[in-house]
Amino acid sequence: MILRDFFDIEAVKLDLEGETKDEVLKELIGLLGLDDKSEGILFKMLKRRENLGSTGIGNGIAIPHCRSLVVNRLRLAFGRKPDGVDFKAIDDRPVRDFFLIVAPPLEVSNQYLPVLGKIAQFAKEPDVPEQLGQLETPEDFLALLEAKSI
Amino acid sequence: MDAQLEILLQIQDLKGQRRGLEEGRSERQVEEEAFNLRVDEALTGLDEKIDQVMEELDPGVRRRYDRLAGGIDRAVVPVINGVCYGCFVSVATSVASDPAERAKLRNCDHCGRFLYFLD
Repeated sequence: MILRDFFDIEAVKLDLEGETKDEVLKELIGLLGLDDKSEGILFKMLKRRENLGSTGIGNGIAIPHCRSLVVNRLRLAFGRKPDGVDFKAIDDRPVRDFFLIVAPPLEVSNQYLPVLGKIAQFAKEPDVPEQLGQLETPEDFLALLEAKSI
Repeated sequence: MDAQLEILLQIQDLKGQRRGLEEGRSERQVEEEAFNLRVDEALTGLDEKIDQVMEELDPGVRRRYDRLAGGIDRAVVPVINGVCYGCFVSVATSVASDPAERAKLRNCDHCGRFLYFLD
């Protein structure tokens, strides 16, 4: 499977409103359509992962991720905050593009790590930040993933 | 959702994260290479957090959790489509179909694991 196959269009938002790291994380979680309690638990887990070390990998991209019992399958979301937010990224630059990845602890299909690796690989391609910045619709995002064939 | 169940889910998630970093060679490699995570420090941090969250459990729930966690891999498991994903035995329909019952702290009648309902 390619990355495109893991994203639902409802889980792509190109105009995130959050102004802080926490607000952006909550907004990304909201794209997954979970109940309130599950959202709260997931937020705590993602925060704890961020406290171990930022998932901001540089070039304006972050990949917050964790395993959690509150999902029953691999779930992904993408969000873009045009002005960027301080995410304590490796290069200390603001983060504009966010890929959220959440998987259950025991994932039968075993896709979590391959997908995490693929997104990290995708994010490190030199032309990707510029291409992500030019997206106008969620459909454009999915088309970009498809074009990359990762 | 019962407040104690919420704490149990957090503990289980933290332990799952710890297990992934400690035992999963691929997970450790991805975290180190893609995210520059210092895994040994992360494991220490997770241990501290687990201890801290464990303190929030009521004594009775903690005792039961400790007993379960000492003997089996996962002490808290999901119920999906009415089936306990610890032992794969069906949960009583009267429980699985009642939102009030589903929200309570509950153990599987068959394997004893803590249950949470996930649809």
